Parts: sequence; C-alpha cells; structure tokens
Amino acid sequence: MKSPLTARQMGLIRCHTCGKLAFDVGHDEYEEHCPRCHAHMHMRATNSLSRTWALLITAAILYVPANVLPIMTVTYFGAGEPDTIMSGIILLLQVGSYPIAAVIFIASILVPLLKMVALLILLLSVQLKWVLDDRQRTRMYRAVELVGRWSMLDIFVIALLVALVNFGSIAQIVSGPGATAFGSVVVLTMLAATTFDARLIWDKEDLHD
Amino acid sequence: MSPQDHIQALNPIPENWIACKDCDLLIERVETPPGGKALCPRCANPLYQRQEQSIERTLALAITGLLLFLPANLLPVMSLHIVGQESTTTIYMGSLALFQEGLYWTALLVFLASIVVPLCKLALVFFVSGCLYLERFNPLLPYAFRYYHYLDEWGMLEVYMLGVLVSVVKLKGMASIVPGVGLYCFIGLLLAATMMSSLLDEDSFWTRIEQGQQGRLQ
Repeated sequence: MKSPLTARQMGLIRCHTCGKLAFDVGHDEYEEHCPRCHAHMHMRATNSLSRTWALLITAAILYVPANVLPIMTVTYFGAGEPDTIMSGIILLLQVGSYPIAAVIFIASILVPLLKMVALLILLLSVQLKWVLDDRQRTRMYRAVELVGRWSMLDIFVIALLVALVNFGSIAQIVSGPGATAFGSVVVLTMLAATTFDARLIWDKEDLHD
Repeated sequence: MSPQDHIQALNPIPENWIACKDCDLLIERVETPPGGKALCPRCANPLYQRQEQSIERTLALAITGLLLFLPANLLPVMSLHIVGQESTTTIYMGSLALFQEGLYWTALLVFLASIVVPLCKLALVFFVSGCLYLERFNPLLPYAFRYYHYLDEWGMLEVYMLGVLVSVVKLKGMASIVPGVGLYCFIGLLLAATMMSSLLDEDSFWTRIEQGQQGRLQ
C-alpha cells in the first residue's frame, strides 16, 4: 500500500467529539460509544451527504426571501420605507459610510453566497468523484466552517436598532420578515457545514452514501 | 497479514496515536514547543496546540467572565438622545424587542447566541477546569466538556460586538449616542470569553479527563 494509512484502514474510529481512537467493533450505527466522552461513534458522519444536501437546499430556497423581503423599516419624522439587505447597503454608500457598507456587504451578501457555493462544490465533487486538489478542498471546507457565524452580524444590528430607536412618531425602527429568513439561512448553512464530513473528500474508494 | 489483523494484534491502541479530524490520517503524536501548533502532514489541518498552564488560565478567565456576565447584560450598553428624548438598551432588550414584534424565531436566535450560549460556555469551562485544577474527578466531566465542544461555535459575542459598532455608525447621523457602563462590562466579558477559548487546550483537557476516569488524576 503506497498511500499513507488512515484510521479507517487500520480498523480504528476517531471520535468526532473528543478525538479518541477506538477499535471499530462493527456494531450497528448508534451502538458504539466513545470510551472517553461517551458520544456516539461512527466511522463517518451518518448520511453526511444527504443531510448536508437537505440543509443546503433549504438554505438556498430561504436565501431568496432573505434578500427580497424587508429586514427593517426606518421611520424618521414620518418618512421612511422598508429596507432590504441590499437597499440598506446602498443607503450606507449614499451617505458615505463606505467601510460599514463593505463590512455589511461581506457579512450579509458575500459570505452566505460563497459559503453555499463552496458547500455545493464540496458535495458535487465528493458525490461525482471529481478529481480536484484534496488539500485545497479541505482548506475551503475549513474556511466555510470558520466564517459562517459572522453572517449573524446583520441580525444583531437589527435587534439593537429595534430596541434603541423607539421614539414613536419622531423616529422608529421596526423589524421585517426578511430578518427571520436571513437568520434561518445563517443557521442552516452553519448546520450544513457541521454535517458535512470532510473525511469524505479523502475517501477515494468504497464510497457508500 | 492485513493492516487490520496487524492492529488487532497490537491491542491496546498506542497512546501516542492520533487521527486527523478532516482527513482521517493516522499520525504519531510529536512534542511541540509551548504554543506550537501541530499540523496534519496531509491536509494541513491543525491537530493540537499545546497551551501552557491551560487549566489555571482558563479557570481564571471563566471566573472573570462569570463575574462580568450580570453587569454586562443588565447595565445599559448605550443610550440614544434624539430631540430631548432618551432611549437606552441592554443586551437582552434586543431580543425582547424582536419578540414583541412577533419575530419569535429570530428573537430566540439572538437570545441564544448572545446570552445563553456564552453563559453556558463559561459555566461549563468553570466546572471542568475547576475540577481539573482541584484534581477532583467528577463523572459529569466528560459530558460537560462534550457539551462545551458542541456549543463552541454558537456563542457569538464577538459578532455581537461588531454589531454594536455597526449600529453606532448607522445611528450617528440620526441622534447622539452615549456609551453606557454595560458596554465596558460587555467588552471585558468578550475579552475574557475569547481569551478563554483560545487558551483552552482541548487535547490536554481530554487527556486529563481520561486520567481521571482511570483514577490517576493526582
């Protein structure tokens, strides 16, 4: 055998929670527990590809209302109209707050979109056995895992603004249904990144899923 | 003789063997200098990073965080002045306002990510590093540390902090903003929680917990 040995080839399972190595005793799924942290052990995450697909597709569907529906309405001296994520960014550009506009654009538009595209590439490449650089794909997976949480930024901003700006007819900020859709996209893509088992990238032969 | 037969003959599994989380490569553990990070030779995933005095430091930071938790959440983070009127907000009022407007799911999400999960993380690390520091084994240790691992990425204090900054810039044209005492406590809480996470040596914590299970924690 020329390629380096993996835990699985040696009949070992690595606990996905605490990293402990244990013998694969060939039990049914959900029967083997980690001797150290008592978590369920499995050679590879259960139905990793199907679960990640389901979460990713749901997130992609919700991405539409998240961007089309208003996330909040700012009323200032009686005037104001509902803002979507994009129109809020354009508004910031118009008043000259370029850095903040860039931060929100990256966190709310770019990161969720790139994350979904990256997960799509990972899923398709594993399922269709595309020949891509495995190291690069693993690096892409880790990036998806790391940056996902920062998309919650807009949700926190909405929560703060709604709580702060509450002056009746003078000035008021009310949240919109787009916020719920957007929050769901962030949570679903984070879950999708967790359910995807990166080891599938490296399992070249006998892929069963 | 296949590799499997070979390893079965090698029972128990050598203690210095580890496998990479992202590519399953079997690796022999090597000594790293304090703070040094061991990377997987195949996929470059960080395998473990030794932190000096991890138990003592994370315990101290968990206590700091827990002490700052109440003031950071109950004292006003900032107040807004607009034509003679004033409005103040605290961390929990953000999710409360969303709840009152009927966005229950989003309100719950904000409440969990900014308050509940950070508190649970501090409490769990306080319990685990406290037990390990006192060298007292508790059968709940592996469960507590496991749930810390699950909760880790769902606590979002630093994202919330960025949200505060963005809100200030968004409002500056509309009204004058005065930072409150709660904001300084919140920054302290954020620093304690972030340092705690980065100084926590998960790998050696698990090794200590395992020694406790075998009755050789002392």
